[in-house]
Amino acid sequence: MDLILSGLHILLDWQILLAIPVGLVVGIIVGAIPGLTSDLGIILTIPLTYRMEPTVAILVLLGIYVGGTYGGSITAILINTPGTSANAASLFDGYPMTQKGEAFKALTMALYASTIGGLLSAFALLFFAPPIAKVTLLFGPAEYTALAIFGLSVIAGVSNKSILQGLIGACIGIFVSTIGLDHISGTMRFTFNNLQLRRGIDLIIALIGLFAISEILMKAKYNPKTDRKIVSASEITGNKVTKEEYKRSRKPIAIGTITGIIIGATPGTGGGLAAFIAYNQTKQMSSHPETFGKGEIEGVAASESANNGACGATMIPMLTLGVPGDGATAILMGAFMIHGMVPGPMLFKEQGDILYAIMLGLIVVNISLWFVGKFFTRFYAHITRVPFELLACIVLTFCAAGAYSTNNSLYDVYYIFIFGILAFFMRLMDFQLVPVLLGIVLGPLAEMNFRRALILSDGSLSIFVTRPISLAFLLIAFFSVLTFAIKNMKEAQKERIQRRT
Amino acid sequence: MKIKYNSEMLSGALFSIISGILFLLIPSQIVTMEKSSINAQTVPKIALGGMFIFSVLLLLQGIFFKPKQEIVFDQELYASRGFKDAIRTAIYIGIIIVYMVLFKVLGFIGSSIYLIFAILIYYGARQKSYYIIALTTSALVYLIFAVGLHISLP
Repeated sequence: MDLILSGLHILLDWQILLAIPVGLVVGIIVGAIPGLTSDLGIILTIPLTYRMEPTVAILVLLGIYVGGTYGGSITAILINTPGTSANAASLFDGYPMTQKGEAFKALTMALYASTIGGLLSAFALLFFAPPIAKVTLLFGPAEYTALAIFGLSVIAGVSNKSILQGLIGACIGIFVSTIGLDHISGTMRFTFNNLQLRRGIDLIIALIGLFAISEILMKAKYNPKTDRKIVSASEITGNKVTKEEYKRSRKPIAIGTITGIIIGATPGTGGGLAAFIAYNQTKQMSSHPETFGKGEIEGVAASESANNGACGATMIPMLTLGVPGDGATAILMGAFMIHGMVPGPMLFKEQGDILYAIMLGLIVVNISLWFVGKFFTRFYAHITRVPFELLACIVLTFCAAGAYSTNNSLYDVYYIFIFGILAFFMRLMDFQLVPVLLGIVLGPLAEMNFRRALILSDGSLSIFVTRPISLAFLLIAFFSVLTFAIKNMKEAQKERIQRRT
Repeated sequence: MKIKYNSEMLSGALFSIISGILFLLIPSQIVTMEKSSINAQTVPKIALGGMFIFSVLLLLQGIFFKPKQEIVFDQELYASRGFKDAIRTAIYIGIIIVYMVLFKVLGFIGSSIYLIFAILIYYGARQKSYYIIALTTSALVYLIFAVGLHISLP
């Protein structure tokens, strides 16, 4: 308790109260630009924090992390392009809401869910960090493989029309994720002797191509004279989230937050996976699953609370064990070290007051997110009023610049267009792109841990069913797929009967 | 000439060919020294093998179980709205491919100027303000990346 009070004392500094909104603004802007992630924002800001007090410096960076995770939802909702991979699940319902003229409503719900998810995650970090860290330490390669398979079971939920097309998409995604250097054996895979392909294809590059470029191509038939809808400013901001919608979003936010905290606290996973799982669980537990994917506000609430719910939780293994949970926390760990703090069990003993100031500061960061985000939401919602022909030019140039900046490579610019054209043809053939994305996201996690688990078990597959956590994940995945399969069969049967009558 | 088809048949045939070819390329594209049965080739084999099986199933589903649409290659088809839309889409994809090529040759600013004019002309935009806004934005993007983020675009 003394440490919390002394942490609170450190926190009540004008520099900190100024630094947090600055970090959030930078994070939201960076997160909302496709191709730029909060990781990049943190890296670029670290040199500017050298002369700052450690608490101020870390809270600026945390502001960027939290703001970036929320900011990525803005473009996911408005232009069908997640700014960061953590926001990929937000486009399932976010973009359809924009198409229905409910962009402001979707943005507000994303902000609300992000704030609640982030806030509860920050409280979890403050009060439950050591016990949560102990549970996640039980995760070995078998558990990670089962977790990835559990994540892949989402395919059943998002392939409403054709499970075969969903499975083909997932296979394409997994195959793409294997291109480049195999990190276990050092073998080159499908590089066609091209050195540029050695590092593989970045997730964010695939995301930009799959969603942003294909979306622009899908509008090739757009005719500004007949297809343009003129919407007034008041119409956009007047469409607010109703009390009833806030009320029914409570359950999705609770599911999202809990999923975000558990997945986020598991090293090597991240907010993207949490959002997919939370979305799938919410859809499964909903009394109206058929509305998901068509602009259901609960879908936005679940995915956004999950990815921001993971933000604070990813700090748990980092602060308690010295193990970074994802890319952003690995960079943050570096920032901690630069400012003279070595994350790990000793940190609580040696610099407990500063650490508690930072953990309490994360709560302030999430509360501030609501106010800073409110301003941005109002501003960004008007993007939907920009004529499409103009928006296409801006989005394409932004995407090309963002892709190039990922690795300073022209090849990444080529990849986004190649992925975009491939995704465009897949969409023409009624394919959903989400399974492809899931394959790319979960492929490396599944492959690496699958191979490690089999090395540990001397090639025996029984390792996946003899470990309780692994078995639990596999069973949940199995029943999840089974539920969707039965539901789809019943619907198909109903349709057949209707057609006959 | 008449053709009966559906999207399942098209995608099933296309992806079974692609996955089949890629599967055959595995030994030459993944040369591994590992001796265990689970190695660098395992997951690509599972992914491409799975893709091939599911594509064949999709093709069969399209042939036997799904309703088909008929397309007749005659003068009427070439005059139809659908055909004109397909040509327009091909032109649009062409604009983007040329942008991709010009990005290397002309750099970010040069290729962006081409893209902005090409897209706005494609959509028949006559408002000067659109051209000015789009050009200013791409200049701003260049400045944000070069000055703000210290990333020099080509």
